[in-house]
Amino acid sequence: MGKLFKFIGLAAALALALFLAVIAGDYGPWYFAWLVGTTMIVLIAAAGAVMFDAQEANSNGKV
Amino acid sequence: MPLIDPSVVDLSRLQFALTALYHFLFVPLTLGMTFLLCAMETTYVITGKEIYKEMTHFWGKLFGINFAIGVATGLTMEFEFGTNWSMYSHFVGDVFGTPLAIEGLMAFFMESTFIGLMFFGWDRLSRPGHLAVTYLTALGSNLSALWILVANGFMQNPQGASFDADTMRMQFNSFVSLVFSEDAQAKFVHTSIAGFVTGALFVMGISAFYILRKQHMALAARSFRVAALFGIISSLAVVTLGDALGRLDYLVQPTKIAAIEGLWEDSNAHGSATSAPWLLFALPNDATQTNAAEIGVPYVLTPLITHSMDTPIPGLLSLEQQAGPRILNGIKAINALQQYGVTHDAASLATFKQYENDMGYGFLAQKNAPNQDLTQITPANQDAIVAQTEKDTIPNVFVTFWAFRIMMFLGFYFVALFAFAAYYSLRNELEKHPLLLKAALWSIPLPILACEFGWITAEAGRQPWSVYGWLPTFQAASSHPVGYMVFSLIGFAALYSAFIAAELYLMFKFARLGPQDHHAEPTVGGGATMFGKPQLADKSWQ
Repeated sequence: MGKLFKFIGLAAALALALFLAVIAGDYGPWYFAWLVGTTMIVLIAAAGAVMFDAQEANSNGKV
Repeated sequence: MPLIDPSVVDLSRLQFALTALYHFLFVPLTLGMTFLLCAMETTYVITGKEIYKEMTHFWGKLFGINFAIGVATGLTMEFEFGTNWSMYSHFVGDVFGTPLAIEGLMAFFMESTFIGLMFFGWDRLSRPGHLAVTYLTALGSNLSALWILVANGFMQNPQGASFDADTMRMQFNSFVSLVFSEDAQAKFVHTSIAGFVTGALFVMGISAFYILRKQHMALAARSFRVAALFGIISSLAVVTLGDALGRLDYLVQPTKIAAIEGLWEDSNAHGSATSAPWLLFALPNDATQTNAAEIGVPYVLTPLITHSMDTPIPGLLSLEQQAGPRILNGIKAINALQQYGVTHDAASLATFKQYENDMGYGFLAQKNAPNQDLTQITPANQDAIVAQTEKDTIPNVFVTFWAFRIMMFLGFYFVALFAFAAYYSLRNELEKHPLLLKAALWSIPLPILACEFGWITAEAGRQPWSVYGWLPTFQAASSHPVGYMVFSLIGFAALYSAFIAAELYLMFKFARLGPQDHHAEPTVGGGATMFGKPQLADKSWQ
């Protein structure tokens, strides 16, 4: 039951996010671009840090 | 109504420019650093490695210094609208006050609340909980900027309001039009991401400082990597948004874009608009309305501005002439409005409504009218007054032209710097390129400078208007004595200079001090790092 509620909650959050994305895309394309772009910038920067650790582990022959 | 003493208007402008430019020394770093902290803490939550927590702590400390002083410098400006720009506040307060109030009540409170949790909640919140708080702080600081830029968007391209002849002010009638104005959108994204570039170069530059001295290598190398990737995408996005703003200015603020490009004559004045050159260098002369020492790149201007190959761009001389009929209409509108204010008759109101959209040009003509009274304009003196007012409709071209170019050249420099930085960081070859590291270090102030010049381009290019097309700047100020303005200007300059000195002292102190000792060096398995053997941070090295 708990899993079902969790699933329903996440599905509702996803539907809300999609709805807001459609609104933002129609009326505020640059705002939408900022939301998506900022998320992407943060995640790519974080991925770069993870990659640094992986490279370092590789250079030490650990991976 | 008599006009306000021009010295008071100039001093009010100088004071606002000074406080805004001082405040803007801090804002971009806050906007960028918050999301950089998000990137670092996200890595900490994903990998669980303590080094990323230390990175978030260390850069968070520098961010905190900047945030505290930045907030202090920002508060005065909201009061200045009331004290120094009372006519402006009366005229557009209904519209302008709304985003400012939302900024104060929602974004600023949100930012301030979560920043406390971010700094003091490490031991009280779960890792995901604290990460959420960091994201909310970043969102709050950028939402603050959003509402300020929504307000500024209205000044650049007024939407969502109309003039009410009974209240003699702009009445707010569409929140959606105000918030989703294209100018507000593009300006917010451009400004916010310019802040990302500032934050990225700040982190990259200080990290480069450590790498050059082989200090705090674990933190510095990772911070450099995060900042370089954050910066290369942000700097490309800033250029993209700059292009969007340029196209928007071409559509809604033709005098600004012509001033930015130093375009006195129409782009097709000497043949096809297609071959019109984009000026790399020129010395615009506002008195003679010509350029000296032009160095241009042909075939670039038209596609750059209009996004087409042959659409002509009107020059400033044409735009002055086009303002002539609007000035005549504006004079009729103001005279009808004054009549309506006395009689409240339907005929005056109907005349005003007919010429309402040109009302601002009537205000502009007031400065040149006999005794500053538009009713004293007669067929005999009308042509001379209109000709004089036409010249007042364009901004200072030299300032706008060069402020834009400095910002733009710096913008492209950042793209190149971040591209090299990201490339060599990804190849782990930073130590082989000390020149790049030194360039990163010495470039730390440049994004702040670029943001300042961007702001000057936007605001100087909007002149002579405080609200484009509706309210001239010289009509917007308060009628203070000159002595009051001089006194408060000196006070602000002294106080804000003290703030800058305090910020620089603290920043240098804590940046030189570096992070706390790293107990866990970055390597998996405890071997050598990419930059040699692990080193503990040495606080006594300085």
